[in-house]
Amino acid sequence: MRGKSLTLTELRTEYEREVVEPVSLTNQQRPLSFWEKLWDCGAVRKLLILILLAIIWQVYATRLNNPLMLPTFFDMSVALSQMFLSGELLAKIDASLRVLLLGYGGGIAVATILTILAIRSRLGTDLLETLTAMFNPLPAIALLPLALLWFGLGLPSIVFVLIHAVTWPIALNVYSGFTGVGSTLRMVGQNYGLSGLGFVGRILIPAAFPQILTGLKVGWAFAWRTLIASELVFGVNSGSGGLGWFIFEKKNQLEIASVFAGLFVVIVIGIIVENGLFKLIEDRTITRWGMKS
Amino acid sequence: MALAQNTIIDAPFLDVNDVTLQYKTKEYLVTATYRVNFQAYQSERLILLGPSGCGKSTLLKAIGGYLRPTEGVIRLEGREIVKPGPDRGMVFQEFEQLLPWKTVLENVVFALTTSRRMPLQEAKDQAEFYLRKVNLIKFAHSYPHTLSGGMKQRVAIARCLALRSKIILMDEPFAALDALTRQKMQEELLELWSGSHFTLVFVTHSIDEAILLGTRIVLLSPHPGQVKAELNIDWDRLEDSRNQEYKELRDRIHRILFKDQIEYMI
Repeated sequence: MRGKSLTLTELRTEYEREVVEPVSLTNQQRPLSFWEKLWDCGAVRKLLILILLAIIWQVYATRLNNPLMLPTFFDMSVALSQMFLSGELLAKIDASLRVLLLGYGGGIAVATILTILAIRSRLGTDLLETLTAMFNPLPAIALLPLALLWFGLGLPSIVFVLIHAVTWPIALNVYSGFTGVGSTLRMVGQNYGLSGLGFVGRILIPAAFPQILTGLKVGWAFAWRTLIASELVFGVNSGSGGLGWFIFEKKNQLEIASVFAGLFVVIVIGIIVENGLFKLIEDRTITRWGMKS
Repeated sequence: MALAQNTIIDAPFLDVNDVTLQYKTKEYLVTATYRVNFQAYQSERLILLGPSGCGKSTLLKAIGGYLRPTEGVIRLEGREIVKPGPDRGMVFQEFEQLLPWKTVLENVVFALTTSRRMPLQEAKDQAEFYLRKVNLIKFAHSYPHTLSGGMKQRVAIARCLALRSKIILMDEPFAALDALTRQKMQEELLELWSGSHFTLVFVTHSIDEAILLGTRIVLLSPHPGQVKAELNIDWDRLEDSRNQEYKELRDRIHRILFKDQIEYMI
């Protein structure tokens, strides 16, 4: 058995002490070095990953030595710069983006009308909910055969399919953004005598901006995918196709390096819009307002 | 208060007359207040005091015009209240009452330009004047999310004062603040009042806050809210909260509010 045990107060004596300057640490506080700052930048780290991927691609393709199946990164770069210089690629990008903006704009317009109907009346809400439930899961490309039948080959068909791709995600997000605006903010707006479209424009839209931006982003991604896919399918007959048609055409001509270059451009444009344009809007709005969730 | 006594008043400024308020939740029709009567005169600080469920906030929303009475009528300067408007400035409990996409200054300016259709420059001058009054001019260009809770409520009060509403309605504006900040805000509110003698209707569930801020207290009972008593507060006689008279008043209010429960328990 043990001898006499101490009570906690006997065991734990009180004390006070003076704080000392930490001498064992050589630097307590110093500005970060250039390399540390560089490594903190997300874009730099991501760029490093991209370079690494390019190197792996280059090494593997060189080993494979089959330019018909997998051209090297270098070959792709050469094809890319040649097409840029000849202006061929820029014309294709231009054609694609024009169609895209038409469809995107049309989709936003239809979504706006539907959401305004939805917040105005209960029947409008039902209409929006039913339509989105029906059409949102339907891949836009599945409507292409029908679009061809109705609008023939060419621009109207692609725009129709794009509008379908863009409308539903945007309408869904904007509407849920509007309904999520708190009752206090609504009451503040009404207190200033705002009602109708003034209330929508000056209270609901800014208050729901995080969701609206999400809707616009998702809509953009859907539109871009759908555009390239539908160009692949029936740019064949429409002559002056965009990037999707360009990829299809180069594959038929067995210029595989150019196929890769086309795909590369599709990816780069996607990144520029997503991480450039939308990021810029986000930084200037919801991040500054502290509304980013 | 001296001012109320010296002013000749023929009609009440705000007249809440036999007001029954009902609203629907998903499953029930709730009666929030039943035939409530009270009046507020110019420059009064009227407190609506009661436990939760007495319909005091609903009553304030009805004065704000967000809710129409099922029975009775609410009049401001003799005119029936039918919809919200800037003649009744509102301060809410929630910090989210500031528009997050506008800076502090823009929040006040927006209120003025939207509701009064005031020219921008005039609105800016006025907004700066009132932000100075609540000591927030340094934060004029900050966004609300960077401010503390107390600062947000001060912006909301400045916004309300700048509107120069006929009457200011406050719905437990200090309830979500910490005790120290709350005390400071109460003092500041009284100071602001002594500067411009605005008419105030203030909702609270704190007896101490009611005695400190009010010139007259309307006591409400719960489920549904009915007026139990109206008391005058003469702060000059109470002096401070350690006074015997203060304690007696406090006990009296407590008795009136909770009489039913005590009887029920016995």
